[in-house]
Amino acid sequence: MYPENYQPVEQAPSHEYELYFGPNHPGIEGNYALQLRITGDHIISARADGGYLHRGFEKLMETRLWIQNVALVPRICVPDPVPMEETYARAVEMLGGLEVPERAQWIRVLMLEMSRICAHIFTVGGNSATIGQYSTMFWGVADRDLMLDLFEEIAGGRIYHMYITPGGVRRDLPDGVLQRLSTVLDRIEAGLPEYDDLFFDNPVFQRRAQNVGAMTQQQALEWGVTGPNLRACGFQSDLRRDDPYLVYQELDFDVVTESAGDIYARTQVRRAEITQSIRILRQVIQRLPDIKGPIRCPLPNPLAWNIPEGSAYARTESSKGELGFFVVSNGGTKPYRVHVRGPSSMHAVQVLEKMCTGARIEDVAQIMFSLDACPPEVDR
Amino acid sequence: MKISMPFKPIGIIAGLLFFLLAGVILVLWQLPIITIPLLVITVAGLLLGVAYLTYAERKIIGYIQVRIGPNRVGPRGWLQPIADAVKLMFKEIIFPSTANRFLFVAAPALTMAPALAAWAVIPFDDKWVFADINAGLLYILAMTSMGVYGVILAGWASNSKYAFLGAMRSAAQIVAYEIAMGFALVGVLMAAGSLNLSDIVNAQRGDYGFLNWYWLPLLPLFLIYFISGLAETNRAPFDVAEGESEIVAGFHVEYSGMLFAVFFLAEYLNMILIAALTALLFLGGWLSPFQGTMLETAFAWVPGIAWFLMKTSIFLFLFLWLRATFPRYRYDQIMRLGWKVFIPLTIVWILVLGILILVELPPWFSTAGV
Repeated sequence: MYPENYQPVEQAPSHEYELYFGPNHPGIEGNYALQLRITGDHIISARADGGYLHRGFEKLMETRLWIQNVALVPRICVPDPVPMEETYARAVEMLGGLEVPERAQWIRVLMLEMSRICAHIFTVGGNSATIGQYSTMFWGVADRDLMLDLFEEIAGGRIYHMYITPGGVRRDLPDGVLQRLSTVLDRIEAGLPEYDDLFFDNPVFQRRAQNVGAMTQQQALEWGVTGPNLRACGFQSDLRRDDPYLVYQELDFDVVTESAGDIYARTQVRRAEITQSIRILRQVIQRLPDIKGPIRCPLPNPLAWNIPEGSAYARTESSKGELGFFVVSNGGTKPYRVHVRGPSSMHAVQVLEKMCTGARIEDVAQIMFSLDACPPEVDR
Repeated sequence: MKISMPFKPIGIIAGLLFFLLAGVILVLWQLPIITIPLLVITVAGLLLGVAYLTYAERKIIGYIQVRIGPNRVGPRGWLQPIADAVKLMFKEIIFPSTANRFLFVAAPALTMAPALAAWAVIPFDDKWVFADINAGLLYILAMTSMGVYGVILAGWASNSKYAFLGAMRSAAQIVAYEIAMGFALVGVLMAAGSLNLSDIVNAQRGDYGFLNWYWLPLLPLFLIYFISGLAETNRAPFDVAEGESEIVAGFHVEYSGMLFAVFFLAEYLNMILIAALTALLFLGGWLSPFQGTMLETAFAWVPGIAWFLMKTSIFLFLFLWLRATFPRYRYDQIMRLGWKVFIPLTIVWILVLGILILVELPPWFSTAGV
């Protein structure tokens, strides 16, 4: 009955036991493992192991041309790929001194905000799926699919667009896509009250989410939390406003904050940010047709494109937090070193470990989803 | 991990033993021979009902979630449950290397048997009942409580942490909700003055149609009974014993193939049982909703079993609807709800009910009316 090399281990009687949560667990996003020490239903300590999705992107980028890396970066984070392209492109532009034409900047904002809506819808849906309510998730997937159709129309790809290149964007917008985007936005906005009825105002969800997985503003700042998770603690921080890139200073939007810092506050911030992104996109739809001009600056032959020596750090407000690319060039045709600062590497490791301590087993998956921790981003 | 085929010899022996036992019972109790085909029809109907309940579940929840649901096997997916059953039959049963094999196999049978046995006292129509016993309600309580032994044994025998957690939770949950359920049944017993299910249904007969049924005077007990039924069958939003994003699949995480299918069958049989019982105890079973009113003759052609099945379907639909729209309660919140809300509520309503019966509140409790 036992395997041949089975050696039973004698253990002293104990109220504690170890539970391996993942890497293949229905409550975990992607391949991600948590090693929990548990007494009863409560977690004494948690250890995160993000290495199951290590694909060596940073090293791979050193062996590819500057232009080839455009195809590699969106794969770092699956649900929210556009900020990856944008940040990499901007780091390269900073190194190479490229000027992005105005039209390209507006198109990039359009793509970024569309991607943010998709990512937030996905996270809210995932959050509800982890507590057994799949309807919100499927509704979200249906709404997100409309956005993906638009992505396909604009860039040719539904998930990995490879659309933003250093110096601009790959091609201009197709005719009439802005009208269709406007229709899709109307539909998503009209659907939001239904999400409220089903999920956000659901008393069962509120009871499970309020005062669970909470952190104070002080703790959040100490643990390196950024983005919506930090805003859910009441801290006004948004790179789009604090360190404006592209044309964000011309756009009108609010930085949404909540004060509680728990799971409920984090989902509420994401829900409000969907509304803000729709607001930004409406302004872009209004302004974009009047902005004419090229969509990218002239580039040299990409196969023999040497970027001047130096280093640059570009950062973007992705749907998960501050996303940074640190790119070093030694003057060659390939990057010398690229480092990606994924926001999830803070959220999914140190923050998750600390929040799980003292929580119940049932809350682990929900805490992870409410932090919007994206495992492929943790260990690139 | 040792792999073995499904036990064919054991299955054959068990089947023979079953028929032997059935024969002995028939002879001893001098039951008419017609009982055997009726039994076969009922069990087959129930199993078919389970199969198409899964189909209905996938379709209804699919439409709620803006999907289509199964639509590949057969016209509009009608053959999907058959395909699932065939798949499960051909799947391999894997025994975890450190599992207790005897209990591992016995657990699904222990869950399945009471789920089927409870149907013996359910009246499908006037006099359509296998065992018209006086302690019907007590028998139902005993049978529905038995099912948890299978769950606990499955969790224990699997020798897996997730399964064990699920089993422990299930045990605690069933204890909590069994009490609330028992008190709700005490209310029905007081109102009808009988433990016999047919008598309970007949006591709901009256001149005011569906207003005569017990759902109105026993409204809190009716709601609590149905919600406790949800908890008792481990259905959403009380499915902590198998909450998949929490403890993967709970007590049946190590089961596969037909052994898993038996758990699945038992869960759905229990769902149908709870729905049928709610219909019998609170919605007048096979009684027409128009009895005693002008419309009674217009609907006299509808057989009683049709009303009964319709009422059962309403509750089955509620089971599915709740699953699509409610997130799962957390385990400690379920315990709070059971012990601190439901049990006090039922006790209070039993006192109120006692007063209502004492004052002979018409039309339900007036001795002259019935």
